Amino acid sequence: MQAWLIIAYGLLIVAGVALLVFAFRTGDRRYLYLAVLLFVVFPVVIVLKFPTEISPETQLLYDAVEKLPDSSNVLLTFDYYASTLAETEPMSRATLRHLFRKDCRVLTMTTIPLGGPSIAERVTREIAAEMGKVYGVDYVNLGYKANYVAVLKGMGSSIEAIYPTDNSGTPLAKLPMMSRIKNYADISFIIAIADNDIVSYWISIVRAQYGTPVGTGVTAVSAPQYYAYVGAGQLTGMLGGMKGAAEYEALVGHPDRATKGMTAQSLVHLFIIFSVVAGNVIFLIQKRRAGAGGQA
Amino acid sequence: MSAIEIFQIWIAAFFTLALFSFLYRDNPCYRLAEHVFAGLSAGYEVGLIWNSVIIQQMIDPMFTGGEWWLVFPGLLGVLMFARFTRDYHWVSRIPLAFVMGTTAGIFLLSELHGKVLPQVQSTMRSVNPSEGIGGVVLSLLIIVGVISTLIYFYFSKEHKGVLGGVAKLGIWFIMVSFGAHFGYTVMARISLLIGRVQFLIYDWGDTFTRIFS
Repeated sequence: MQAWLIIAYGLLIVAGVALLVFAFRTGDRRYLYLAVLLFVVFPVVIVLKFPTEISPETQLLYDAVEKLPDSSNVLLTFDYYASTLAETEPMSRATLRHLFRKDCRVLTMTTIPLGGPSIAERVTREIAAEMGKVYGVDYVNLGYKANYVAVLKGMGSSIEAIYPTDNSGTPLAKLPMMSRIKNYADISFIIAIADNDIVSYWISIVRAQYGTPVGTGVTAVSAPQYYAYVGAGQLTGMLGGMKGAAEYEALVGHPDRATKGMTAQSLVHLFIIFSVVAGNVIFLIQKRRAGAGGQA
Repeated sequence: MSAIEIFQIWIAAFFTLALFSFLYRDNPCYRLAEHVFAGLSAGYEVGLIWNSVIIQQMIDPMFTGGEWWLVFPGLLGVLMFARFTRDYHWVSRIPLAFVMGTTAGIFLLSELHGKVLPQVQSTMRSVNPSEGIGGVVLSLLIIVGVISTLIYFYFSKEHKGVLGGVAKLGIWFIMVSFGAHFGYTVMARISLLIGRVQFLIYDWGDTFTRIFS
């Protein structure tokens, strides 16, 4: 590691500890906010690479996509709001790159009204342009439909009945790719990227009733509840939060924003652990001193 | 990058900073951002539902496809507005009863076959030593964890003696689960901050270089 990098990060740690001391002394939590901001901004500007270890859940999803025959039909969902873009968008970008690299035909959709349709449109068009894919032939964006239970059930019979047109209003019958995809029976794999409980409906309605394998990418908040489904084989792989996205970026061989964000993530976690330990030690010392003062 | 894209990024940057300003103290910029978000979200959603549901799935099929039976679900939807009247608010219970009935029917089977049974099945683990010591220990942990946690939530008998001991063990498993959830929640919240900082530095910062170069 270069000397200036060590000095820079050393100064960052000193500043963080100083702000923590100020926070303890004054009881003003804004010093803590400032410290966290420092630990986030610093690694984004001065990048320090931390090693990325691939978790078994991420590897499972990657392997499942890798094993798909070329030109398979895959459904990729954008079931997330703009508020969780930092975690979920890198997952969508990495999985799309992987799917397009395997020449899969990608069908995208969303059950989220706010942001979902436009995020799906923006991300798919951007990655498709990068990979030389054509709309209507290699990918189609179905857009949004309300009432996700009816949507998930209805697509088992006919996708066209639920989505008569794509996100731009073009009838599905006019899109060449859709002549091969009528319902779940024509879809080899589903990747549900979500920031809410919709993944459990993909499991209970689609995976259980139609048998189409489902993999997922979820925000870190909801990741713990889905480990049980991966363990039971109901989910074929899972990306958990920004870390999962960074792991997938590493597997696809295209490090992007999740990878860049993981340095800040690791530093803030170390700072939080240090703050919790320091806070408890100070609390115990103060308690012991108060006890000793009382006895005297 | 076009001028309109640069303008959009500047608007997003302003609202990001306005919302973060609340961390210092409440202020008019924060309140402006909050109100704009609430108003925009409501307006956008109304427009989207009107276009994707009312027009695409009711009006168009009726007038172009002759599917006049769609009048009935449409009428059920209209009945929901009876909730705003004093004398006829009870009428809104008819579409609600329909929604509750269909939802219960769909979820009864999907939850049972899609979640409960497979999850119960996955807790019936093999403790065969041929699977290796690690596998046996993990299986035992799952079996003990599931049983002790279920016993903690069994309130028909006082938690004393053996039952009390097992229930206490269940609390430990629940605590470990809470710890994992909390750790992941911290990661999620920090990720959101990282996302905004990346937006401000990479995207907003990029507009400065484009404007001034």
